[in-house]
Amino acid sequence: MLWFEREVVGALTGSTDQPLRSSVEAFVDGTLRDWPEHLRLGVAGESVLLGAYVAVLRRTGRLAPGDREGLAHLIEGWESSPVGLLRSYVRAMKSLVVMAEHELAPEVIG
Amino acid sequence: MADLSTEVLVVGSGAGGAFTAAALAEAGRTVLVVEEGPQVDPDAHEPFSLAEMVAKYRHHGAGAAIGNPFIAYAEGRCVGGSTEINSGLYHRLPDHLAAEWQVRYAIDEFAVPALAAYADRVEAQLDVNTVPGAPPASSAALERGATKLGWRNVEFPRVFSYDAQGRGTKQTMSRTMLPRALAAGATLVPDCRVLSLLRRGDRVVGARCRRTHPGGGVERMTVHAEQLFVCGGAVHSPALLQRSGIWRNIGNGLKMHPTIKLAARFPHPVDHGDVPMHRVTEFSPFIAIGGSASRKGQVALALADTGAPYDEAMADWENISTYYAAIRSEGSGRVLAVRGLRAPVVTYSLTDADLSRLARGLVHLGELLLAAGATELHPSVFGGRVVRRLDEIGSWWDQVTRQHSSLMTVHLTSSIRMGENRALTGADSYGRVWGYRNLRVNDASLIPDAPGVNPQAAIMAIATRNCDQFLTEG
Repeated sequence: MLWFEREVVGALTGSTDQPLRSSVEAFVDGTLRDWPEHLRLGVAGESVLLGAYVAVLRRTGRLAPGDREGLAHLIEGWESSPVGLLRSYVRAMKSLVVMAEHELAPEVIG
Repeated sequence: MADLSTEVLVVGSGAGGAFTAAALAEAGRTVLVVEEGPQVDPDAHEPFSLAEMVAKYRHHGAGAAIGNPFIAYAEGRCVGGSTEINSGLYHRLPDHLAAEWQVRYAIDEFAVPALAAYADRVEAQLDVNTVPGAPPASSAALERGATKLGWRNVEFPRVFSYDAQGRGTKQTMSRTMLPRALAAGATLVPDCRVLSLLRRGDRVVGARCRRTHPGGGVERMTVHAEQLFVCGGAVHSPALLQRSGIWRNIGNGLKMHPTIKLAARFPHPVDHGDVPMHRVTEFSPFIAIGGSASRKGQVALALADTGAPYDEAMADWENISTYYAAIRSEGSGRVLAVRGLRAPVVTYSLTDADLSRLARGLVHLGELLLAAGATELHPSVFGGRVVRRLDEIGSWWDQVTRQHSSLMTVHLTSSIRMGENRALTGADSYGRVWGYRNLRVNDASLIPDAPGVNPQAAIMAIATRNCDQFLTEG
């Protein structure tokens, strides 16, 4: 998983429970590794571009370093973007995180 | 493992492959089945759980057809194929579609009575039953809503057996036809991916494979075969043929049932361990309405699709179940094996009429669930209105757009259509690939168009029919 993808997963994970957060990240990492190469390449390319954009926002002070809530807000805004690939990126990452976060919760897995 | 030789090589162990292996092994043929996925104890994971997705689904259940919009799809990748992960619903191919396809694609022996006879044989080999006793709450809601509105609905039977206490066991291929094939002398090799087929003139003489061992070691091997049946499903059968240099009418014409979902909140708890077995057939064959897996993760996923905060609804998740409207699509797609890529590229073009049909399906689904007593409906549409009253549903007509809809499917068919009309088909009426004497396809790829219902019954009946023809030819 690329560094920005790790940030996206962290921002989209609502729980503060560290073991659960780690499990979610591990699941998303495993799924991305198992994805069809063309989809994985597309997501990786977008991650690089979006990561660069976020880095610029941080460098210019428009997004505080470590501001997970601000990053989550930014990412969720991309979900309504007119650019289809950007919408698909957010929906794919969000789906993986939401599914994993609720299925890996201790009360579900026992 | 050294190179292998067999009389019949079956690639894939899902509904098509397992029926093929059992029929041919029981007829005395020497059969070897290779399956790309692992052998997984069918009781090892809870149905539709994340653990099951990791163990049994291809790409952890997160495949996607490229298009506008992308359409997520799920398929099995384990011994038994998608029969291990589906809901087990069983529905014969609708008669009017069989009659229409017989003419359009010039399919021999595809008349309704002939297909019914094969379906009878399938049902004699599997337990096909309705649920004993009352249906679970999530399924009863569909029946209740449809009855109130005067809409046709039916409880579909499933390939389930039930014990005296009413506990059901899904009759997956790993529990039924594969053990029969093995008992008749067939050999099964899991974790074995077929890289390409070996061709010589108008014959296929074997397959190059890569087998992964439990310890992680990888072994290349060649399986020599006199006859070959490709049963990898509508995505992976055409991809294998393309990787082997066989392209004519292979991989185009892919069909699916694009599906839009909705999370319905009730004033009482609903079940979450199974999938509703009632279906609303009022709008068949173009729109089917039913229920989906509704574990906590799937409920959260459905609620999250609107993009609005859903913590309050999620706190009440045990009262929420997910439902769908699926359409017979006018659009079509393509499977394309690209050199250097392990997974094929899958595309799908949805038409404007498809989108309109999805919107209509969602609206009908909402009407039905409100009639059934749901108090809150969350559509799988970004920005979609959360509806609590019937007069609010109208907003969905405009909100189901390419930009905002979240679509998925679990039914993929028609990527190597069968029939004697060579302009439209990749294989003859019995699945023999045009141009090859001993290469056959026997899975969902052959079904000429989307059937509008769960395709596994049609796959099994057609596979049985094709095996009969093969055995008749000697």
